[in-house]
Amino acid sequence: MLRFVAWRLAGLVPVLGIVLVATFLATYALPGDPVLVMLSDHSSNVEMANRLRAEYGLDQPLWKQFFNYIAGVAVGDFGMSYRYVRIPVVEVLSDGIKISPILALAALAAAASIGVGAGILAAIKRNSGIDTAIILILVAGLSIPNFAFATFFVYLFSIKLGALPVAGWGRIDQAILPVAILAIPSAAYIARLTRTFMLEVLGQDYIRTARAKGLAERVVIARHALRNILVPLLTSMGIIFGGLISGTFVVETIFNIPGLGRLAIDSVFARDYPVAMAIVMLFTAFFVLINLAVDVAYAIIDPRIRQRMGVK
Amino acid sequence: MRVLAKAFAGFLMLAAVATAADAKTLRINVTGDPAMLDPITYSELVAGRVLRNVYEGFTDFTPDGKIVNVLAESWTALPGEHGFRFNLRKNVKFHSGRAFTAKDVKYTLEQLAAPDTKAGIGAGYVARIVGIEDVKSGKTKELSGVKIVDDHTIEIRFTKPDVLFPIYPIWFMDSGIVADKGADWVRTVSAGTGPFKFKEWRRGAFVEIDANKEYWGNKAKIDGVRFLVIPNGDTALAQYEAGELDVLDVQESTIRRVMRDASKEKERQVVPRAQSRFLAMNPQVYAPFKDKRVREAISLTINRDGMIRGFYDNAAFQLHGITTPGVAGYFNDLPKPKYDPEAAKKLLAEAGFPGGRGLPPIDISSTAVFKDELTYYANELNRTLGMQVNVNVVERATFIRAMNAGEVAFFPWGWTSGYPDAMYYLEQMWHSKSPYNRGRWFNAKYDALIDEATATVDDAKRFQLYRQAEMVYIDDVGAAPLPMVASIALVKPNVTGARATPFGFDRFVFAEIK
Repeated sequence: MLRFVAWRLAGLVPVLGIVLVATFLATYALPGDPVLVMLSDHSSNVEMANRLRAEYGLDQPLWKQFFNYIAGVAVGDFGMSYRYVRIPVVEVLSDGIKISPILALAALAAAASIGVGAGILAAIKRNSGIDTAIILILVAGLSIPNFAFATFFVYLFSIKLGALPVAGWGRIDQAILPVAILAIPSAAYIARLTRTFMLEVLGQDYIRTARAKGLAERVVIARHALRNILVPLLTSMGIIFGGLISGTFVVETIFNIPGLGRLAIDSVFARDYPVAMAIVMLFTAFFVLINLAVDVAYAIIDPRIRQRMGVK
Repeated sequence: MRVLAKAFAGFLMLAAVATAADAKTLRINVTGDPAMLDPITYSELVAGRVLRNVYEGFTDFTPDGKIVNVLAESWTALPGEHGFRFNLRKNVKFHSGRAFTAKDVKYTLEQLAAPDTKAGIGAGYVARIVGIEDVKSGKTKELSGVKIVDDHTIEIRFTKPDVLFPIYPIWFMDSGIVADKGADWVRTVSAGTGPFKFKEWRRGAFVEIDANKEYWGNKAKIDGVRFLVIPNGDTALAQYEAGELDVLDVQESTIRRVMRDASKEKERQVVPRAQSRFLAMNPQVYAPFKDKRVREAISLTINRDGMIRGFYDNAAFQLHGITTPGVAGYFNDLPKPKYDPEAAKKLLAEAGFPGGRGLPPIDISSTAVFKDELTYYANELNRTLGMQVNVNVVERATFIRAMNAGEVAFFPWGWTSGYPDAMYYLEQMWHSKSPYNRGRWFNAKYDALIDEATATVDDAKRFQLYRQAEMVYIDDVGAAPLPMVASIALVKPNVTGARATPFGFDRFVFAEIK
């Protein structure tokens, strides 16, 4: 098991390397010279432009800039922010990094519990009124974009009812709406998957055997059916989590949460490339780590996979 | 479970403490974090919003553009020389408790010139002081043109006349701060004399300033100001509506909603921004613009009243020439630009281009925020004058570089004033020697009037020179004036003294929460 984890962690290095090269070249190719952005109205001031270029190492050839950047990243130095005077990128990120993962994980937990519950309920009550109602809600959850939900929820809960704050971060009540909005599409997706898998499993011979043994329906569902759909469900969790991460860009902007998603958007607009690049790297690492966690979870749930991995 | 309950109770207490502390703290939105919070590197809008309440200069100005003396009690021109002698206010203390003296003035000016400080806007204001080049090049740290006479008297000499020096927003800082708190002082304290002092900056969330209890002047009536970082305009409006903001600086995306909402009329403040807007016609790039009749025809084709209603929902005002209201040297009786398509057609025909025939095609360019306007001009000029105009939207920094280099033929743009005197616009925008004369309209008579004005200390005399220069610009159609966009603010009924001005918000020292 440890060897497996170590191997996968080593795999992180080439993935991050490729992302690093790609983002570095992409920011270089984007229109908008960062020095001109910093100078703004004073871009005809050659003396100032040269000074800034030298200060940020932008006067060196591209390959050298890239090498310097890699050398810095290797020791955890992502350079200086272009936008904030004399503030290192690591410091700009330090607050957001405590927020976005929590937001995404909370939404994942909410989405998984609601989604799996609704999916099982719909499968058990197949073709009933409850099933139809759940499917209707699922379709709405999947097809209505989350910014539309957000606007509606804010209007209803914050402005009309005054029950929840409109925006911000730091108190529990400020987290309710953003987590809910972020969770909705994922919850709907998980519920749909659960319902489909569940229906398939419920038709299997071993379920019939379990029922024939005289086991209570609760035990049949929880121990025999649910456990068998966990592996395909977990597979999709990695993808779902990717969706949640990109969802934070929208939700953090709407609810004004100072996380990495909002910061990423702000820094792209402000041409603060070092910050934007660092966020892309962070999200990549995060995404890879979550997928690793999913793989490890397989092994815990399914003894067959554990065996294939050579884990005892 | 008990742990959870304890944690929850803790949260509630925190929330309660926060509410109690916020009771008299004014909450207002800003679009982003400030890029810096010190008066030397200061170079952008959000930082200016905060710093204006924390630091002070020789003078300040009222919402209608009147100059008031702040750290300078008085000043006199040095006889026979370019320069001033300033008498500084006594019994003024910095936030550190140290006394404000002439030494701090000299220190601030030297910091603005020093090669390693990355000085921002302020660097432009010290450019004419004697000895500035030696400090900039690192040859010396001492600014030879600044002479400390005694603790409260200082003389400043210039290489060229600089009659507006006393009103430049140069914010003085505590010369002892680095020795006391280290080079990183700005993270923990402020080094000004203003009615508020730095309290906390939580990046991405807010900047908070506290009332300065030791302030030398009339003290603030509120406990502090919290500038909440809210990049999204719709979110900011929703927060205002839900009572999470006391003052809303209305953003572009919500202007329409705010202007059309009759229920907000009492809370709404609409003032023209100190930004001079124009449609530039560069004769060096597009030869037909050398003919005044072509420029005038284009100006006559623009329906400004229609634009103010259609584009801006009445949140805009007619600009007659160059200078905007709320700026000293503004005259409200200059002739208003006319809308007359028939006269425009006639003029273009007289210039040798009847129905636009013979005019080479031209791009009208600007940044994405001008997109709708560009389309309007292109359509209108094509329909009325038969000109072939293509719309070209360019990335901002690239576009500014091209304008500065004089490469852009035809573009709408604005120039925001840094201090409330018309000289800012008149000299920087259209003097032939200015690096910011982006339309490349050159007029010798205009130059001569402005040169004379820069050496005229007497306000009334100088304003008459401004007026003559502005008339030259209007008569020669240096560019086509465009409507001034408004700053719009919403202020809750229980807040008084928070005023939107052409230069952003007035100092919050006058604000009160009932």
